[in-house]
Amino acid sequence: MADLKDFVAGVDSNAKKSPRRIVFITRRTSAQVKAETEEQLQTFPEVLFRAAVAVMTLGVVLVWTALLFNAPLEGLADPSHTPNPAKAPWYFLGLQEMLHYFPPVVAGVLAPGLVVMALIVIPYFRVNIEADGLFLKDRQKRLRIFYLVAGALSLFLLFFKVYAALVPTLIMAMLMLIAAQSTPHSASPFRRYLAARPLSYWVMTWFLFELVVLTAIGTFFRGPGWAWVWPWQGS
Amino acid sequence: MAKTVDQYFDDLQQTRLWRSIFRSGPGSSTLKRALVIQQNVFLHLFSTKVRTRVLSFSATWYLGTLTLGTFLILVATGIPLMLYYHPSAPQAYADTKDLQFVVSSGMFLRNLHRWSAHAMVFLVFAHMFKVFYRGAYRPPREFNWVIGVILLLITLLLSYTGYLLPWDQLAYWAITVGSNIASAVPVIGDKIHFLLLGGHTVNANALLRFYVLHCMILPLTAMFFVAIHFWRIRKDGGLYNHDSEPATVRARNAGSAVKETN
Amino acid sequence: MNEKPASLWQRLFGDSVRAFGVISVVFLLSIAIAPAKNFFSEWRHYQRGYLKTIRNRSDANTLQRHFAGGIQQVWLPELGVVDRCTSCHVGLKEAGLSDVPTQPYRTHPPIPHKLDQFGCTTCHRGQGAATTVAESHRSTLAWEQPILPAKYIESSCGQCHRGQLAGTPQLNQGRALLARQGCLHCHTVKLPDGSTLKATDDPPSLSHIADKTSREWIFAWLKDPQAYASTSTMPNFKLSDDDARDISAFLIANSSPLPGDTVNVPAKASADPAAGASLYGESFCASCHAVQNAAGNIVGGDVGPELTRVGTKVKPEWLQAWLRNPRAYNPATGMPHYRFNDGQVAMLAGFLQGKADSDFLSNVHLDTATPEQVAHGKRLVSDYGCASCHEIAGIRKPENFAPELSRIGSKPVTQLIFLSGMQHTLPDYIAGKIKNPRAFSPGLKMPQYTFTPQQIDALTTALLSLNERSYTLPSSLAVPGRVETDYQPAGKAGKLMTDLACFSCHRINGHGSDMAPDLTWEGSSVQRDWLVQFFKNPGTLRPALIRRMPRFNLTDGEVNELADYIMTVYQSPKVDRDSMPLGGYSQGQIELGRQLFYGKYSCQGCHIVDTKTDKGYIGPTLTHVGSRLTAAWIYEWMRNPQSLRPGTVEPNRAMNDEDARALTAFLISQKGGEKSSRSSKAANSNSHAREVAKR
Repeated sequence: MADLKDFVAGVDSNAKKSPRRIVFITRRTSAQVKAETEEQLQTFPEVLFRAAVAVMTLGVVLVWTALLFNAPLEGLADPSHTPNPAKAPWYFLGLQEMLHYFPPVVAGVLAPGLVVMALIVIPYFRVNIEADGLFLKDRQKRLRIFYLVAGALSLFLLFFKVYAALVPTLIMAMLMLIAAQSTPHSASPFRRYLAARPLSYWVMTWFLFELVVLTAIGTFFRGPGWAWVWPWQGS
Repeated sequence: MAKTVDQYFDDLQQTRLWRSIFRSGPGSSTLKRALVIQQNVFLHLFSTKVRTRVLSFSATWYLGTLTLGTFLILVATGIPLMLYYHPSAPQAYADTKDLQFVVSSGMFLRNLHRWSAHAMVFLVFAHMFKVFYRGAYRPPREFNWVIGVILLLITLLLSYTGYLLPWDQLAYWAITVGSNIASAVPVIGDKIHFLLLGGHTVNANALLRFYVLHCMILPLTAMFFVAIHFWRIRKDGGLYNHDSEPATVRARNAGSAVKETN
Repeated sequence: MNEKPASLWQRLFGDSVRAFGVISVVFLLSIAIAPAKNFFSEWRHYQRGYLKTIRNRSDANTLQRHFAGGIQQVWLPELGVVDRCTSCHVGLKEAGLSDVPTQPYRTHPPIPHKLDQFGCTTCHRGQGAATTVAESHRSTLAWEQPILPAKYIESSCGQCHRGQLAGTPQLNQGRALLARQGCLHCHTVKLPDGSTLKATDDPPSLSHIADKTSREWIFAWLKDPQAYASTSTMPNFKLSDDDARDISAFLIANSSPLPGDTVNVPAKASADPAAGASLYGESFCASCHAVQNAAGNIVGGDVGPELTRVGTKVKPEWLQAWLRNPRAYNPATGMPHYRFNDGQVAMLAGFLQGKADSDFLSNVHLDTATPEQVAHGKRLVSDYGCASCHEIAGIRKPENFAPELSRIGSKPVTQLIFLSGMQHTLPDYIAGKIKNPRAFSPGLKMPQYTFTPQQIDALTTALLSLNERSYTLPSSLAVPGRVETDYQPAGKAGKLMTDLACFSCHRINGHGSDMAPDLTWEGSSVQRDWLVQFFKNPGTLRPALIRRMPRFNLTDGEVNELADYIMTVYQSPKVDRDSMPLGGYSQGQIELGRQLFYGKYSCQGCHIVDTKTDKGYIGPTLTHVGSRLTAAWIYEWMRNPQSLRPGTVEPNRAMNDEDARALTAFLISQKGGEKSSRSSKAANSNSHAREVAKR
């Protein structure tokens, strides 16, 4: 019998590199597959019960929230009285915050459109599948591109005076620079971690950072006329 | 002799009625348990077995499950709310007031619906980022990721359309601000804006439109995609676990093989 | 089997089935709290409290029978009313519960309206749909209008009742103040019926002011109008000395002389002051003009300006010209043209000139004005909107000078800026703004008025009635106010009536004032002979009244002109003056009338025919009625007084034709034959007599 270790069932998306070979039969035996065997649980009842517990725990939290806090309700809709500021739902406040800085086409159409497109195409790029550390290969070339992109983005944000978005961008750029100066063999575990981060990680984290910061600003720091207020100043 | 509860349950499962409905008979063998999943129109979307490791809390934080939970709460609270609601201005506002003041537990229903909606939007975002950072979008799950993005958009639309329904100042102006963004689309922006609102401003037409979207079109669309989303989990090899991925296993094995040849 | 005792956590969450069971119980319990919360709601609490309150009362059974549990509501779609107030205020309609000291169980005080027809929030504001104390009474995010404080409650009557209403003195006063204090010159107030409220004051034109007064007086007046006359309606603009100096400079420089508004005053102007005072009294100047007496009380009418310090203000040559013919200086003045002779003019002018206060101008020293000061003064006059009230040559009346107040009573609180320490409610804002406008911003133009707190409440009440609800109410509910027409009599007599300013006191065809009787049907009611005599000597009717028709010194030609016009034009379609004779009634009929007068109808309770026996002071004295009124008018008046004079206190006795004729015969025989001093007894108190001012 051939060593079963040699045969591993699997699917590799890159057929050119490794032709799709499922099994290799050496003798007149039935095909045998060595698959990773792992401890498994029956969906019923184990998994369903766990799911039910999770959902009901959330349910208890939400029920108590609903008991203790009333949903907001203001006066009857009145087209002639514009509240100041008129705010969108919280999950759109990042977008509304951007509208404060950029023309509507950019902030309201281009940016969200690009975000959705980018999210959709993530799994279709090799670089995201392999997910190698960004600066591990072609370090010089990638660094140059990084400087170019980070610089252009910062200048762009500076030009529109979007300091709220500039600060997260600069922080991310700094982390990426640290990553560029690190290798998988660096002494500190943090630098090893950063060095192994792929491109998609950096872009997504930057996006998450901006999303949280802009939404928070739009929610808590904007008052009449979309002017900056501190949350404790009230209105 | 007194029977145990389990025995009563077994008896129940043996009745003709039970079997006509659930097909599977009594017993708790692995087969029977698998059949429970397989033979249920809803549960058959899931695989009959799940790797124990991916069930650990840290693997998923149960974010997808919780999102489904909020969705179920929203359906359960939304239907009674519909019973008290007329999508017409300004009656919609009066109905919201009545929910608050005279309908038994109406305030509770509305609160639960509202907070669950916020929770759902938050959980969908959290689920997306969690999936991303785990790398679970990788092939063969790429299309399920795309469905996830679609579900994110549907969730946002559901929440956004529901935001208008109380017809108060908060709702009216939030929707006005939001819908004005649509006008910014080059060339066809105004058409989209008109299509969205059924008019040039947020008015009774917009309310009706948003109501139909919120209670009918979007929930059905969401259910459709949720079904595919769950079904694809099974078809794409179960819940993602990096260490169980064939490529990872192969790489690990290759590494050990090299060591052996040495 | 049980090696170590399982921990509580293990027992509850040891495996997924246990955890499922436990969390299910918690979940179900949590969900069960909502209905429980519902059960302990506030309105149920108050209903239980009500049942407890009425249990030991003697009328418990009745109250118990009337009580209906559950949420109660008054739903009036056409009023936009969904009022659930009665869910807690259970006893509003129970007359027996008026002895309950406080709400929510006390009876509603009696009002002319039914709760079921108007709901609660129509008058009280607040959120009627709410079923909690806080949400229904106070201002919330979802409902701005809180309960209206009780002291402004009359404002709600004004939403429908646009005119005077007997039961709402505060609202009436506020509306009068609004019209009289000049508010409406700057602020527009449109009513829901499309009409615009009009000011009733008449600020003088300043185009010829230099003829009338001095720059020093203008300066002192501008600095503090109330120091000159405490009843002045001119507000205080809080001008600096420099600004007052420049405005006075501009007004004098801008003034042009008017031919005939001054006359050369003979060197010896002042005649006998006592004679002047008596002419002032005889001419009934006090009916319109007030003077502050030694005790500091203001005595006299408020139609014309207060004259306490008039000698300090006007130039003698102007005053004489004015007394001679006020229409020379101001053709539109409400002052009648008394036909005084030169001696009377000099006497009256001397008397008035003596009403001076040397202190008023003692500290005013103005240098000659520079062109810069005049120019600055002109700018200030424009900035402060002086032309909104006063006619000033070369300055146009500004449009929309101040915010429109048509819906001030429902202005969203979010649009208001409050002073610190002020309650954030609309009534408080309005009252605060009236009390001290400049406190809200030193740059505001609105001047400082000197209102009493009671007047401020009245004004606030009137302004609160100008609200959104008054616009959305069904128009059938609106009770329009009296519409002021712009009726003008025609021809020569018409000119004469204008010259005599009849409309300053009388009302004819919906135009004029209410000080004296309405003359619209005067031609039907009085006899021409009496009218002619009355013009010549008005003192004969109601001689004890302080406000009385003055003597205008008319010529016979003028009297005939007026009498002819009145007798011809002012006739009621209901009364044919000539259908009944003025005399020749049989003695039997007269005697029957007398019996009806003293017996069946007991008219002597209010009227006096025989001054020796009758004690009626409510209605007018009838001793001379036969020589004054026409028989047809008396007859019609007997049949239906309200048809001739809506709102008169004379009761409609539903008299049959026979009785009415007999009474008419009796009354027309009362010609006041024997002259006696009965007239002095005829009326007692002033207020009484005003009320009786009906024929």
